Amino acid sequence: MKVQVESERDLQRRVFDSVLDMLPDVDNPTPLVRVRDAVPSGSVLLAKLEWMNPLGSVKDRAAWAMLRGLEEAGELGPSRPGRGVVEPTSGNTGFSLAALASMRGYPVRAVVPAKVPLEKRLLLRLAGAELDVTNDALCPLPGAEDGAIGLARSHARAQPDKYVMPNQYENPNNTLAHEHTTGPEIWHQTGGGVTHVFAALGTAGTAMGLSRFLKAQNPLIKIIAVQPSAGHDVPGLRNVSELGVSKLYDPALIDRIVEIPYERAYTRAARLLRREALRAGPSSGLIFEGALAVAADEPIGLGVMIFCDDVLKYTASMAKHLPELGDAGGPA
Amino acid sequence: MTVSAQGVAREGVIDLSGGAGPLVSQRWLTERLRDPSVRLVEVDVDPKQYAAGHIPGAIGLDWAKDLQHPTRRDVPEPGVLAKLLGERGINERHTVVLYGDSANWFAAYAFWLLKLYRHADVRLLDGGRSQWLADDKLPFTTELPSFAPETYRIGAIDLSLRATVAEVLPLAVAASARAGARTHAGADAGAHAGAGATSLVDVRSPDEFSGKIIAPPGLNETAQRAGHIPGAISIPWGSAVNPDGTFKTEAELRKLYIEDKGVRADAPAIAYCRIGERSSHTWFVLRYLLGLRDVKNYDGSWTEYGNLIGAPIDKA
Repeated sequence: MKVQVESERDLQRRVFDSVLDMLPDVDNPTPLVRVRDAVPSGSVLLAKLEWMNPLGSVKDRAAWAMLRGLEEAGELGPSRPGRGVVEPTSGNTGFSLAALASMRGYPVRAVVPAKVPLEKRLLLRLAGAELDVTNDALCPLPGAEDGAIGLARSHARAQPDKYVMPNQYENPNNTLAHEHTTGPEIWHQTGGGVTHVFAALGTAGTAMGLSRFLKAQNPLIKIIAVQPSAGHDVPGLRNVSELGVSKLYDPALIDRIVEIPYERAYTRAARLLRREALRAGPSSGLIFEGALAVAADEPIGLGVMIFCDDVLKYTASMAKHLPELGDAGGPA
Repeated sequence: MTVSAQGVAREGVIDLSGGAGPLVSQRWLTERLRDPSVRLVEVDVDPKQYAAGHIPGAIGLDWAKDLQHPTRRDVPEPGVLAKLLGERGINERHTVVLYGDSANWFAAYAFWLLKLYRHADVRLLDGGRSQWLADDKLPFTTELPSFAPETYRIGAIDLSLRATVAEVLPLAVAASARAGARTHAGADAGAHAGAGATSLVDVRSPDEFSGKIIAPPGLNETAQRAGHIPGAISIPWGSAVNPDGTFKTEAELRKLYIEDKGVRADAPAIAYCRIGERSSHTWFVLRYLLGLRDVKNYDGSWTEYGNLIGAPIDKA
């Protein structure tokens, strides 16, 4: 993902010519920080702080890779005047896409399931996206289309002059982004010592890309997917039973799937903030729970956990799951 | 199922007209998109889907606004439905082809509703909206159709397609009594009703059937009690479809419903769910894909039954 020559991103002084130059890669990785709270002795767990991406989540990587791919294929840009993007998104991809596409001059329409927190929906609007909110949860049908995906696809099919759908659920650049950036970063940051990687599944792009790159370096590295229990309420994540929507998911690239009762995503995220000053969002809480579950079975030599985004846009969800937060004094 | 060229996979089960059965293929439909005797109607769980794009010529109906009584938790009154269909350019002689999102869930409800009011020729597009969307070569548009208004002559409700609580409750009481007798006898003899007895099929999710939850989260119409009607067989409606939204093959359906779950092929059947929509889908499967002769949709369903004082209820 080299977008600019070295002289335009002074990594020593952290001076960048553009936000695009801040996007992470092996020379400019997102930080790894050790987490100690609740980790048994004999295991080392590092959190990869993806909220340090310029737009605040791991999705910057896929969003930019997909946009660049569309530009390079001539699907967006001067040859397609007026054309923008439409994407089904739980929020983060939409936010990254909206900001990056707007920056490039493309209109954005985001199709968002109703269960996505209000904060995230407002952020999409702030970033300039037009919003469609779908009600997917009316009665989940195992294996069938996701309403948001169907609706986004409908816009792209019915109005191809106005919209192209990057489609994070099928776009190989989603996986490649992690094969080209996140994977090499982890390999380099750990000096090749990484033994386990913990990631959640949404589109499965992160886990697939990491697995492809890291197992090519060392086939013994274990790629562990952490999933919320069925019927979960963790935005952005999927239980494997819901992964039919992703064309990227290849179970052969995952060594183990750990299922965690989804409520613990919230309790753990709160504890990470209080004990480690890590502003981890619920999906990061879930991933940490998964790593702890594995650490209870076997020592983790050097585990890396992908902390997708931070808690700041989940205050309403946190309040719903953590009654002890109370009403914080009621509306201001 | 992926239906062959003319959509005749169901031929011989119920032959309504023209050689094709009530379940039609994409190809069958594409050959008839401009056929003036055909009206294509989309009914979605989420009406935004239709607005975002649809098959050219498709009329969009909103299940909540158009296909329900506004206040009585009932099907629309005949005059109201006839007026709506006529205004949209549909008469009772049209071949109405239905399709929708979520594996034709609410399209199947519309199918049942039209048959309830004795519309002669109703079809369901296999795979529904998602299968059509998946093929980039098939046309798709936001353009709204403009058909000249028609006069729709609506029939009287066909009670042979609709079960009421008056019919369901005695079945439940009898099943409950059989279960009680079995407990006292300490044997499993008498576990099932005798030959010719009606099969009750509960198509809700396993958690609704077991009584763990009363309704899927976030829904308004609900019951006060949880569980299922005694004697009911649990077969979630989605078991009838493949991940791509098409129906499973007749052989697969026969194995699931009749051989594995024990729905009687030679006896009446009643499907129910929470408010009668999911059960319409299973009603379609039992009536048209498996060819059972006497199948009713109990559209009062759990929201009615689960509020009856003193009604027997089973859990787990």
